[in-house]
Amino acid sequence: MTTISSAAEQAPASAPLVGRPDVNRKRMARLGWTFTSPALIIIGLVTIFPIVYSVVISFSNAAVSGNGVSLNGFTTSNYSLVFKNSTWHYALGFTIIYTAITVIVELVIGTMIALVLQRLTAGRGFMMALLLIPWSMITVINAELWGYIYQGTYGVADAILTAVGLGSPDILGTPTPAIIGLMIADIWKTTPFVAIIVLAGLVMLPGDVYEAAEVDGSSGWSTFWRITVPLLRPTLALALIFRVLQAFGLFDLPYVLTNGGPGTSTTSLAILGYDAIFKNLSYGPGAAVATTTAALVLLGCLLSLRAFRVQVGKEN
Amino acid sequence: MATVDMDKVNKVYENGFHAVKDLSLDVREGEFMVLVGPSGCGKTTALRMVAGLEDITSGELRIGGKVVNDETPKERDIAMVFQNYALYPHMTVAENIGFALKLRKMPKADIAAKVKETGEILGLTEWLDRKPGQLSGGQRQRVAMGRAIVRSPSVFLMDEPLSNLDAKLRVQMRAEVQRIQRRINVATLYVTHDQIEAMTMGDRVAVLRSGVLQQVDHPQTLYDHPNNVFVAAFIGSPAMNLYEATMSDDAHKVKVGSQTLPLPDDLFAARPGLLRYGDKKVVLGVRPEHLPAAHDGVPGPTLVGNVDLVEALGSELVVHFTIDAPRVQPEGAGTDDEDATAKAGEGVARVAPDTKVKVGERMTFAVNTEGMQFFDMETDQAIWD
Amino acid sequence: MRNRKRTGWHRIINGVNISAFFVVVFVGAPLYWLIASSFKAPNNLGDSPPQYFPHPITTANYRDAFGPEDFGIYFRNSLIITLVATALVLIVGTMAGYALGRMPMRGKFTLMVTLLVISVFPAIAVVAPLYLLLRDLGWLNSYQGLILVYTAFNLPFAIWILRNYMLGIPKEMEETGRIDGAGPIRTLWTIILPMALPGIFTAGIFCFTACWTEFLFALTFNSANNYRTIPVGIAEFGTVYTVPYGTIFAASVVAVVPIGILVFIFRKFVISGLTSGAVKG
Repeated sequence: MTTISSAAEQAPASAPLVGRPDVNRKRMARLGWTFTSPALIIIGLVTIFPIVYSVVISFSNAAVSGNGVSLNGFTTSNYSLVFKNSTWHYALGFTIIYTAITVIVELVIGTMIALVLQRLTAGRGFMMALLLIPWSMITVINAELWGYIYQGTYGVADAILTAVGLGSPDILGTPTPAIIGLMIADIWKTTPFVAIIVLAGLVMLPGDVYEAAEVDGSSGWSTFWRITVPLLRPTLALALIFRVLQAFGLFDLPYVLTNGGPGTSTTSLAILGYDAIFKNLSYGPGAAVATTTAALVLLGCLLSLRAFRVQVGKEN
Repeated sequence: MATVDMDKVNKVYENGFHAVKDLSLDVREGEFMVLVGPSGCGKTTALRMVAGLEDITSGELRIGGKVVNDETPKERDIAMVFQNYALYPHMTVAENIGFALKLRKMPKADIAAKVKETGEILGLTEWLDRKPGQLSGGQRQRVAMGRAIVRSPSVFLMDEPLSNLDAKLRVQMRAEVQRIQRRINVATLYVTHDQIEAMTMGDRVAVLRSGVLQQVDHPQTLYDHPNNVFVAAFIGSPAMNLYEATMSDDAHKVKVGSQTLPLPDDLFAARPGLLRYGDKKVVLGVRPEHLPAAHDGVPGPTLVGNVDLVEALGSELVVHFTIDAPRVQPEGAGTDDEDATAKAGEGVARVAPDTKVKVGERMTFAVNTEGMQFFDMETDQAIWD
Repeated sequence: MRNRKRTGWHRIINGVNISAFFVVVFVGAPLYWLIASSFKAPNNLGDSPPQYFPHPITTANYRDAFGPEDFGIYFRNSLIITLVATALVLIVGTMAGYALGRMPMRGKFTLMVTLLVISVFPAIAVVAPLYLLLRDLGWLNSYQGLILVYTAFNLPFAIWILRNYMLGIPKEMEETGRIDGAGPIRTLWTIILPMALPGIFTAGIFCFTACWTEFLFALTFNSANNYRTIPVGIAEFGTVYTVPYGTIFAASVVAVVPIGILVFIFRKFVISGLTSGAVKG
């Protein structure tokens, strides 16, 4: 019978042992950084560096000539110019309200579509594929299409409205209809995408929760609000954040459909920035617009990250 | 052919957690050594140190007599079977098994031959061209073993390979694993938390608790002569009944709760040390199988308990009873549920299936004194000499 | 979900199917309008009331697009730039995603969050400095300029997707590889990559779509006719006075069809990428 000296007597009395990181771990960590560095270099060069540069330009009396940029000293005049500019105020308000309305509408309609699809017995795959097509369409094409639909003389929207008795408005030539037209084009393109995300989230929900709810006596609407919505929240939340933040860069649609017009009624922040830099060649103020837009996006991002800390995956 | 020698091996993690403490253990050639213990006891860490997947903080590890502390897993010539098999899902069974050989640049023909041979040993011949996704749990487990044995390693390591199988399959595979191990006759270190697996499969069993080796012995020795309260409670199912008790002045009687059990003289032949415990408190241990129903006329000490529950297994009755003595339940020896609900005085006895037992009534059990275990109340150590 | 058994005509005509029909109309109507209009004769495009079905059906617009309107050039440019950028993103991104998903590195989490933040940055914020930078390099109106920019901007999201996929691979895979004797590069190539293939497809599809549809950078950097991509090409069809819708739609159909097919084939990957990426965070 072999016995090893028992546990109680074996308390190690000599020098206390110190935990060191594994040699292999260190090697793996170094390898990891090696693998990551190409990506970091590319991203750093093309995103971080220009962002910083943009901020620098926004704070200087920049003049651009054929040979390059000359930054003539530090100034906050670009920002004061921008903040006093009424078009910028409009663009800011327009972008925010536009984002809010389109996102809410997309969410509501998208969820409704998803609920319908969830109950679909046949052809769900086909439906999902169909829904992906507007998402994959080039926004420019979408803009041209709706431009044709809204065309004042021969657009099909015109024909429909006349047939219904609402007259023949010049949609793209009048501010409010133009804005609404823009929103409709955006909503048409993006709602299917939202529907798919919601549907995929719904499909992943555990079935037994619903059965338990049924046994407990819940039904329809009540089940939806008390069970489905809370369970869907993580999926919706992150998708929502991405969508909203991305909407601040609204450019393609108004550029092609309305060119920011009529007048400046559909000028988003990005359009304003672009016009300032490339049409008016005012690099300083343009950079200020661009930087403030980016700052807004960053702010939104950090706020929502804090709010949804739980959903953002941490490994350990 | 090789042996494994762990000499005062320690593992301390970066955050200060001391997972394995001065572990000294040897595995002989061809021996099936089982490392068993509750979760977190350090058994997997120890196994991974032998494999080379974890650094050794201090102490020496020798494989085949050579110190291998700083060698990579590949250099150590070990093979390992993981709990969830870790089969390469995109390769066929044949490719899975042959992968290590391919890495060693063995000629294709040789690889094919070895894979075929291994397939035959494991009964996988008709599955060689399938992918793991098409196999059942038991078959996947065999592929994992095949991948390990095809290399004819010096040491065979297994980390709870049967835990993912359902109960019936597990029993079947236990025999399979043993059969294969005997056939390849390689020193094997097998980790499990299931003490039944340990007892049925091991040539020797090492019990670990909180990183410290409690005892390493043949299964029967662990069962008959547990060194301390933990090992006594851990080994055996249903678990040993452990109570606080007091020895009489002359140590020839033991008082458990309100009952006094006289102890026969031959008990002290094997346990002379017990005589020093006159009037002292001890932990008394009696296995359920050593508490048959008392028959009139049969001599020997008896224990009376209140019957709470009877489980009829067909081959025997498992009687749950209570006595009025405090029960001793070392942490980690039972399942989490058992630890949590261990109430004072509970006990279990295994009696003949035809015994008349009634729930709620008092029942008398004959105590098989040869199997009695005594432990020092302070040190938890078994009392023998 | 409760499965109500439907009988008789309820199997076809019921609330769900009717709603589904409306969804198809909602999504399909403008698409139909796009395709149908592309086949209208040029002088029918301005009909009021409009032709709901082209009469006569003609491919004149398609000929125009590929002929005088140089759509063939734009298609080629888009294809080259998109494919190369996607390939780069996948190669560089898989390595980074692997490292960030499975290697013990300090500051991993901070890095991931930073990448996340970068991925939502509006293009307008960097278009000016990038323009100046590319101008200095002489890379305006080239392939490499846009490729570089597209690669950099699609990497963060791709890395997120790839890393999440990598996380899903059992930890024991590398250890088994080590025991079998595979070095880290070999482990990545032979063991991990094949298992991460779905993630790679997902990231690839997203990247392809993003590059194919990108407008602002393409507009700013590659304005010369020879290097225009499809979005810019279509936007610039015609003159200040005329908008040649026929040609535009013909080109659009040609642009939409390939990516539509790709997305249809790989829809499973797109959907899983949208959801697992979102939920896991």
